Amino acid sequence: MAFTMRAVKVPPNSSSLEEARKRTFDFFRSACRSIPSVMEIYNLYDVTTAAQLRSSIASQIRQNASITNPKVIDMLLFKGMEELNNIVEHAKQRHHIIGQYVVGNEGLVQDVGTKDLRASDFLKKFYSTNYF
Amino acid sequence: MGLGLLALRASRTSLLGRSSSAISRPGFESGNPNFNLVRWIISTPELQKPEAATASEPAAPPPPPPRTPVGGARVHIEKPEDAIEVFVDGYPVKVPKGMTVLQACELAGVDIPRFCYHNRLSIAGNCRMCLVEVEKSPKPVASCAMPALPGMKIKTDTPIAKKAREGVMEFLLMNHPLDCPICDQGGECDLQDQSMAFGSDRGRFTEMKRSVVDKNLGPLVKTVMTRCIQCTRCVRFATEVAGVEDLGMLGRGSGEEIGTYVEKLMSSELSGNVIDICPVGALTSKPFAFKARNWELKGTESIDVTDAVGSNIRIDSRGPEVMRITPRLNEDINEEWISDKTRFCYDGLKRQRLNDPMIRGPDGRFKSVSWRDALAVVAEAAHQVTPEEIVGIAGKLSDAESMMVLKDLLNKMGSNNVWCEGNGMNPQADLRSGYLMNSSISGLEKADVFLLVGTQPRVEAPMVNARICKTIRATKAKVGYIGPPAEFNYDHQHLGSGPQTLQEIAEGRHPFCSALLSAKNPAIIVGAGLFERKDKDAIFSTIESIAKQAKAVRSDWNGLNVLLLNAAQAAALDLGLVPESENALETAKFVYLMGADDVDLEKLPSDAFVVYQGHHGDKGVYRSNVILPSSAFSEKEGTYENTEGCTQQTLPAVPTVGDARDDWKILRALSEVSGLRLNYTTLGGVRTRISTVAPNLVHMDEREPASFSATLAKPETQQKMSKEDFGVAVENFYMTDAITRASKIMAQCSASLLKK
Repeated sequence: MAFTMRAVKVPPNSSSLEEARKRTFDFFRSACRSIPSVMEIYNLYDVTTAAQLRSSIASQIRQNASITNPKVIDMLLFKGMEELNNIVEHAKQRHHIIGQYVVGNEGLVQDVGTKDLRASDFLKKFYSTNYF
Repeated sequence: MGLGLLALRASRTSLLGRSSSAISRPGFESGNPNFNLVRWIISTPELQKPEAATASEPAAPPPPPPRTPVGGARVHIEKPEDAIEVFVDGYPVKVPKGMTVLQACELAGVDIPRFCYHNRLSIAGNCRMCLVEVEKSPKPVASCAMPALPGMKIKTDTPIAKKAREGVMEFLLMNHPLDCPICDQGGECDLQDQSMAFGSDRGRFTEMKRSVVDKNLGPLVKTVMTRCIQCTRCVRFATEVAGVEDLGMLGRGSGEEIGTYVEKLMSSELSGNVIDICPVGALTSKPFAFKARNWELKGTESIDVTDAVGSNIRIDSRGPEVMRITPRLNEDINEEWISDKTRFCYDGLKRQRLNDPMIRGPDGRFKSVSWRDALAVVAEAAHQVTPEEIVGIAGKLSDAESMMVLKDLLNKMGSNNVWCEGNGMNPQADLRSGYLMNSSISGLEKADVFLLVGTQPRVEAPMVNARICKTIRATKAKVGYIGPPAEFNYDHQHLGSGPQTLQEIAEGRHPFCSALLSAKNPAIIVGAGLFERKDKDAIFSTIESIAKQAKAVRSDWNGLNVLLLNAAQAAALDLGLVPESENALETAKFVYLMGADDVDLEKLPSDAFVVYQGHHGDKGVYRSNVILPSSAFSEKEGTYENTEGCTQQTLPAVPTVGDARDDWKILRALSEVSGLRLNYTTLGGVRTRISTVAPNLVHMDEREPASFSATLAKPETQQKMSKEDFGVAVENFYMTDAITRASKIMAQCSASLLKK
């Protein structure tokens, strides 16, 4: 299935913002539909749930919420589709998925303690590096 | 013109006839069997007959547009009638009488190649590289030694001058080894550059090169004497600037060698400068040998902190490593020299470094912890003592910013027992004239009599000593010295060793008084070692009375000077780091050492909690309970004030080591952890705070002289001078602070160069 998708030509540009918006939702739906097979391929049952993956995809789309240029949205959609294809084709490995969509940007070391909550910006930076 | 060239020309005329085309195309001349004897060495054919070329030149071209002087040189002509006009390459330039042709050319914007000439040394005129053509002079003249005369027409770019340079270059390269690929001077070598610019592209030398045995000049200067071109810059530097007659010229002709007359090390604290002035790779840095090439290095303009002079330096680094330190020009402070300690202390920056916060466990061993834990422990300990039992001591390498934050933090904790080591327990911080070098370092050149009280400038501040030495060479100024027997590199009178002699001078009973009273600009230099004495106030009031009698403090001349020992001292006194009580240390329960290693911690109660914040595991660490690693002067931006009151700053050349932080940031973070948040979070904020306390510390690279003189209404002291002689402030010149004590090179120097 995936190989046939790749053969498909790049669709013409969205004519308006509404059309781009519609395509974005279509993309999100197709990504959500492939989540069960992704969970199966990469054996993600013990590290995450389908709901978490869905929200992870949604948050990545929301990062670009401010973009209003339909051409840019089309480009981002194309990149997203490529990424989705690679994942569904098993062109990636398990740790890629875990690193990008399960653990996220915070990294493995997450400071969930409450001790720095009241610390100032200066002190937080001081604890991490000398250069600020 | 070399003899060989003459002979060559003669033979060429006879062999090949007078056709000029034959010169450029020898092979096409008739089948003369002897033409193989002719060897061409001159790359540019028009140089072969320079005289003819000059003669055949068409009418003089219009003078070129004015050029800017070399290196932005300026000249101040005091009396207009002393100015003379000379023409350099057709362009008229006004120079004062007595200037040499070379200096006139520099003013006209023409850089003359040279090897032996150096503008801070006497003129030798032996390398002949600076030959230029002067109209109506039969031969090219050595421009460095020839005074400019009115109306002189100097030509620097004519075939004669070019040929002269090419000839000199050929002679110099005759005995110079072709080892540039393994030479440390490669890339910054005058001979290399000038042979590319002015030399011939081929040589005709086929014999063996001479070789010279290398000399051992000690652990700092590496010698490869075969590379020496006998410019004698090092000999002149040693005698004229360093003031030691260690180096000299031996032999004549091709047997000429530079050397110490007997097997001996170079016993000067400025010996490293011969590395900079050597135009070739004969004298290079021993610790830097084969370490890096100069084009790999990143230069950072910074300030030296190993003494109170604040010499301007360039820190050359490669990646995270300081590779070498070289001087930067500053006419008012260090001219273009630096001391050996400044130049070679850099390997101390790589050894004995503290890189993680540590806490001493119950077993007496240090354990690495996170910054969060370390600061929490320190804040906890500070809260458990009463404010009077808190003491903060700034070290001798501290910058003004961190001292300001230290004082603010301790004041917020309720204590005012904060001081800088070396300033004594009862410093006079009210009048800046009481702790600064009031006549300024360059101003010392105006003095005609020096009185050194309890100071040995040669080990305490070699750059100030070089300035005194320069003055004495120029004006034959007299020097009187009171203190323990010490080494000097100029003529001096040892007047006595303690306060008694001072008393005699004050009462006019000493023979040196006549010299002092008849002096026009007497300079009294008091060592900062006296700050530690109990009878300090009495000594200073005696010195002030001497200054009064000698009229050393006038509106146009302030000759009452204090020579400080450490980089942090002046800024600490400006910021008011003065302890509240004289025996604060005996009752302290919480001591904050900010890089302070030379404090006497014996007096400290055994249950006191000691925090050591610093960059080296030095003396202070042994007694400490918590270690907070900070950055060294090569890694941070910090303000320092030197002994004459000039504010300068260091710039970061390399990244910090391990998990270290800048000094002021640690203190600022600690203030927040202990709940006494200071209201600045940036370096700019700290500097704004400093400007409210000592505005002179934010005016970079400016010398702020003391506004009131010390004689201004000061309370009479009831103290009496003790009979105890003045002590030695610096025991070992090479090892005075945490960085130099960690340095291997400095250890080698103290082992081999210090007199036992």
